[in-house]
Amino acid sequence: MSLETIKVSPGFEKYLPKEYQDLVDDGPFVKQRKVSEMGSFKEAIEEHPMCAGCAMTLFIRLTYVALPSLENSVIVGTAGCGRLAISQGAVPFIYGNYGDTNAVASGLKRGLDIRFPNQEKDVVVMAGDGGLADIGFHAVMHSWFRNEKFTTIMLDNEVYGNTGGQESGMTQKGTVMKMAPLGKKGEKMDMIALAKTSGVAYIARVAPTNPTRVANTIRKAVLIAREVGPTYIQAYTSCNIEYAIPTPLVMDDAREVEADRYGFTEYFTDEAKSYWDNTGRKIKGTVKK
Amino acid sequence: MYSVADIDVDICGATKCRLCTQFCPESNTILYDSVRGTAYVAVDRCKGCEICVGICDDLAKHEAIKMLPIDKVVDGFEICKVGFKESLVEAK
Repeated sequence: MSLETIKVSPGFEKYLPKEYQDLVDDGPFVKQRKVSEMGSFKEAIEEHPMCAGCAMTLFIRLTYVALPSLENSVIVGTAGCGRLAISQGAVPFIYGNYGDTNAVASGLKRGLDIRFPNQEKDVVVMAGDGGLADIGFHAVMHSWFRNEKFTTIMLDNEVYGNTGGQESGMTQKGTVMKMAPLGKKGEKMDMIALAKTSGVAYIARVAPTNPTRVANTIRKAVLIAREVGPTYIQAYTSCNIEYAIPTPLVMDDAREVEADRYGFTEYFTDEAKSYWDNTGRKIKGTVKK
Repeated sequence: MYSVADIDVDICGATKCRLCTQFCPESNTILYDSVRGTAYVAVDRCKGCEICVGICDDLAKHEAIKMLPIDKVVDGFEICKVGFKESLVEAK
């Protein structure tokens, strides 16, 4: 796709919202922007109703900067907080039914490969811990077993934040929530280990304490997913409402949790490592086939 | 009444660190004026979370951002009125 596709026909500029015109003039399309340029270009996400100080919002914002070819990307999500911001992005967003995100993404990726054999289309699943580890668990696991070439990003806020604070599979053991007053009985699911077992090509665990690292991780996952196989990113994105974190302390909490149990880790299969070292790492800017 | 972030452009312009633009959860809320080399806030987008204050004070150690009640903001930049601009001079 070229910028010509989204340009407004001459004479019609005044009829379109200025937000659209800003995206054409100063947007992130065609030429990929860097984290260090944030604030100097019109970002793909518009105004949205997510809570003040939400770390998930920051992570989603960084994702839209990090995607290597924004105009050739499709995001698949499901019910949860994240969709409130993702749906305001200037990227096609498919709001799947609860449980079927990775099944939808599998079909979509295969369909796009058939329809656009000469273009790279990136499919990225971005949903919460409930959408991926609990309700969508079977579809996630099977997309990994089938070696589907797309990226799965879990926005892990360790709670069902959108519905009042029920425990999820990713909640820490013993955590007392509004809707789990006795504390969670079971352990937090180890999705990283499950991903390794399923043969996921690239796995990363990250907290949004370092924007450049977050963006590099996402870009790496999307590029590896194009060529090698499924990739998985698990991101700690605290829910400051359900965990009662005062908004000025959201980043302090992220740093504490990162130091305690959510340190940055990444894992490559041999094939993914070989691809990244020999080819992927050298790709600069927006990638077009 | 609620407060929004207010950036001291004199302190900020001397540093050019840009950290607050990268840590703000909201998109196009803390913008960067490429002419003056300073960050500035779109007051209509700021939700008042104060993350930028912590980043500026603790991480960057510049202490250039303070929270200001919205009715005390003088001539605040509103992105919904003028759209995205690469510099505040252009925006006004």
